[in-house]
Amino acid sequence: MEPAEEDWLVESLRLYQDFYAFDLSGATRVLEWIDDKGVFVAGYESLKKNEILHLILPLRLSVKENQGLFPERDFKVRHGGFSDRSVFDLKHVPDTSLLVTSGLPGCYLQVWQVTEDSDVIKAVSTIAVHEKEKSLWPRIAIFSSVAPGVLHGVRLSSLQVVDLESQKPTYTSGVSDSEELSSLQVLDADTFAFCCTSGRLGLVDTRQKWAPLETRSPGPESDALRWCAEVGGRGQGPGPHIASLGSDGQLRLLDPRDLCHPVSSVQCPVPTPSPNPELLRVTWAPGLDNCLAISGFDGTVQVYDVSSWDGMGNRIEPLFTHRGHIFLDGNSVDTAPLVTTHTWHPCKPRTLLSAASDASLHVWDWVDLGASH
Amino acid sequence: MPEIRVTPLGAGQDVGRSCILVSIAGKNVMLDCGMHMGFSDDRRFPDFSYITQSGRLTDFLDCVIISHFHLDHCGALPYFSEMVGYDGPIYMTHPTQAICPILLEDYRKIAVDKKGEANFFTSQMIKDCMKKVVAVHLHQTVQVDDELEIKAYYAGHVLGAAMFQIKVGSESVVYTGDYNMTPDRHLGAAWIDKCRPNLLITESTYATTIRDSKRCRERDFLKKVHETVERGGKVLIPVFALGRAQELCILLETFWERMNLKVPIYFSTGLTEKANHYYKLFITWTNQKIRKTFVQRNMFEFKHIKAFDRAFADNPGPMVVFATPGMLHAGQSLQIFRKWAGNEKNMVIMPGYCVQGTVGHKILSGQRKLEMEGRQVLEVKMQVEYMSFSAHADAKGIMQLVGQAEPESVLLVHGEAKKMEFLKQKIEQEFRVNCYMPANGETVVLPTSPSIPGGISLGLLKREMAQGLLPEAKRPRLLHGTLIMKDSNFRLVSSEQALKELGLAEHQLRFTCRVHLHDTRKEQETAMRVYSHLKSVLKDHCVQHLPDGSVTVESILIQAAAPSEDPATKVLLVSWTYQDEELGSYLTSLLKKGLPQAPS
Repeated sequence: MEPAEEDWLVESLRLYQDFYAFDLSGATRVLEWIDDKGVFVAGYESLKKNEILHLILPLRLSVKENQGLFPERDFKVRHGGFSDRSVFDLKHVPDTSLLVTSGLPGCYLQVWQVTEDSDVIKAVSTIAVHEKEKSLWPRIAIFSSVAPGVLHGVRLSSLQVVDLESQKPTYTSGVSDSEELSSLQVLDADTFAFCCTSGRLGLVDTRQKWAPLETRSPGPESDALRWCAEVGGRGQGPGPHIASLGSDGQLRLLDPRDLCHPVSSVQCPVPTPSPNPELLRVTWAPGLDNCLAISGFDGTVQVYDVSSWDGMGNRIEPLFTHRGHIFLDGNSVDTAPLVTTHTWHPCKPRTLLSAASDASLHVWDWVDLGASH
Repeated sequence: MPEIRVTPLGAGQDVGRSCILVSIAGKNVMLDCGMHMGFSDDRRFPDFSYITQSGRLTDFLDCVIISHFHLDHCGALPYFSEMVGYDGPIYMTHPTQAICPILLEDYRKIAVDKKGEANFFTSQMIKDCMKKVVAVHLHQTVQVDDELEIKAYYAGHVLGAAMFQIKVGSESVVYTGDYNMTPDRHLGAAWIDKCRPNLLITESTYATTIRDSKRCRERDFLKKVHETVERGGKVLIPVFALGRAQELCILLETFWERMNLKVPIYFSTGLTEKANHYYKLFITWTNQKIRKTFVQRNMFEFKHIKAFDRAFADNPGPMVVFATPGMLHAGQSLQIFRKWAGNEKNMVIMPGYCVQGTVGHKILSGQRKLEMEGRQVLEVKMQVEYMSFSAHADAKGIMQLVGQAEPESVLLVHGEAKKMEFLKQKIEQEFRVNCYMPANGETVVLPTSPSIPGGISLGLLKREMAQGLLPEAKRPRLLHGTLIMKDSNFRLVSSEQALKELGLAEHQLRFTCRVHLHDTRKEQETAMRVYSHLKSVLKDHCVQHLPDGSVTVESILIQAAAPSEDPATKVLLVSWTYQDEELGSYLTSLLKKGLPQAPS
């Protein structure tokens, strides 16, 4: 073992409650939960068949007590399927056995079925996407209801909700604005949030004609090439619930009641600009108040506590930085790995999953060193 | 129809009771003879009735091969050889031969003494069974008989574990047993050459898993030990004398050195002696790194790890103790356990599977109150941790091994077909091979096309070359000869030579065909016309016009005759020998089409 790796492992005894590291056969850009026991991952290589896998977490992560009596630390591949094209996004349709994926070429979305009587994930249908863009792929989000709908779009002008069963559109944005989208998020049965690559954010009510609550774009003072965002904090107290992350390391907090004036903006200590701004990701912790995580700048995932932030442009320090992808470099590739995506465990407050470009997948439960004092 | 037949024996789909029957080119081999640890009755043994139907096992089976010493691969061996009855050879590696009887005896003691089972194999049976063992070295080709040969490959996993290649002529099967593709601290990774067997048989138990990295498992172990000693507790680690114990000692030693820890670590004396003894004997089986350091210093003499004295168990303060036996069923480890169990600051770490009936098995099932001898109840307040350090190949590992060996087909045992469809597709797509998944008791039949080498006589070869036409890679040439099979030898010789060797007289078969032509001219002219026509059409053949008026094409004779009844009709007599059948038929149909009009 390399000395640096050994050092980090010894450090890790103190930094992590628990830590698992896996090697997938192909790197993934998706980590999508299905209940709290399994996740989907999918490959994104362009010239070969990619695998979509349904992985069941090691049992000891799911049991409530006597974890010590469960020795297995492995993922179980419960289902697997093959995709001819790269998969950049995957969403599970809640309360169904269906998945929707998006990738390149971006002229359609693929619908898959996961059944109990076989371990193969089968492609069942496609949803056509109007615009034929060469290198852009549609963002997707799911309206889950008795008749689930797929929200998708490459640009604001092509935003649409399609009923999954009938394949008929039930909502269109109806605007000619061609701003490119970077993320879509369904908030409840009638509203969704969009974030454009320019940083422009909006909350849309599908019952009305297009009239979103919006921000202005960050404007020329921002160096960021690209922005992404996440709306969080449902069930948490009042306060800024929207986080917007730019490829220049800027992180803004916004309150949905006044999107035009960010509550605070900070500069994250990350190498900038991000080597691949499409990989930027910011997520709110479902189990911790005022905590979020960011990734996409290097091989780390950083966790922040936003409760003490105020003002604009301050530099802040993360509560925790996960460096596992840098140090546990089993494959000894020349280029440093880049974290492609991360997600929080729905029930265990400080457990996250993170994936990197070297096909590694980590599950880690970090220790809040500040809290112990 | 040549074929390879494979039948996994026994009922049930869970792990345990590995026992596979392979029939290859008329030879019958049994691979492993395991015990299913979950059952206490006959269900724990493989279903041998499948083979005993064919008569005596010794007559039916050419040999038995054992891949490694784990009980789910060799646990039923004494039962099989001494109670069911088999006297033929049993092949295994040297370390397996040394370690098997120890584990079998341990297991027998637990079953008979602890659980009071009847109808179990005896110590003498274990000894008698081991007398039938023939030990093999890695990469050594062993001739079981004139036709059947086997070869062992390094499998990693545990000391002495091997993958076996079974070969008869040009047909071969590779059985992997349990293996792993990532090296650990004291064992290397499995390796096989591009032997291209007809079939690769591998366990699929872990095929649908993705393994947590070794580092993280080790980290978990270190964290648990460290946390316990930090709070002043004692850690008991029951181990077998071999394998995993070394691994964990090396790990703790490295960590203690790193962190400059002073907490004592003890290793019970029986263990040290046995472990050193076995490792010295089988040093070739550990990995390169260990072998190098072993030469420099005795790797199994540790700086921070000392010999244990039973009095130390009562010392106050933190400590770590490795003690035998591994399942807490008797001896020192059980003694220590009884002393420490009542304190919640302490911890016991079980590094492996425990057989039913042992204290190890009970606490791993969650039991917190144990009934000991004399009706004493022991309350277990110490922390119980079950850790798995065994090295198995996962989905990625299987793909790597298939890529190394390049088999024509793959067979997965011990998996449920419904849960393996994806892996089957993955293997089939990636390697373009067939993938089979038989249930226990189900036979897979693989047709094979063995190549049989035959020699061609120089005379025959020269004659063919003398025909003048060069051999073309893409166009098959018809060759006439006789195949003589004598003394397991195949020779292709010319017919004349064959007749001579066999002392037979040659018979010639000649065919004659009549072709009727409309031609008013004389037969000599007809013959001339035939000659001109054939000469222009058959450019590749030797066409001649003989002085007697007949035409020859190679050795085929064509004569024109005039039947007396009808002067306008001529008859061509086409005559050829059996060897020239093809050309003869062709000529006949050509002539039947008629001759081109001659210029007058």
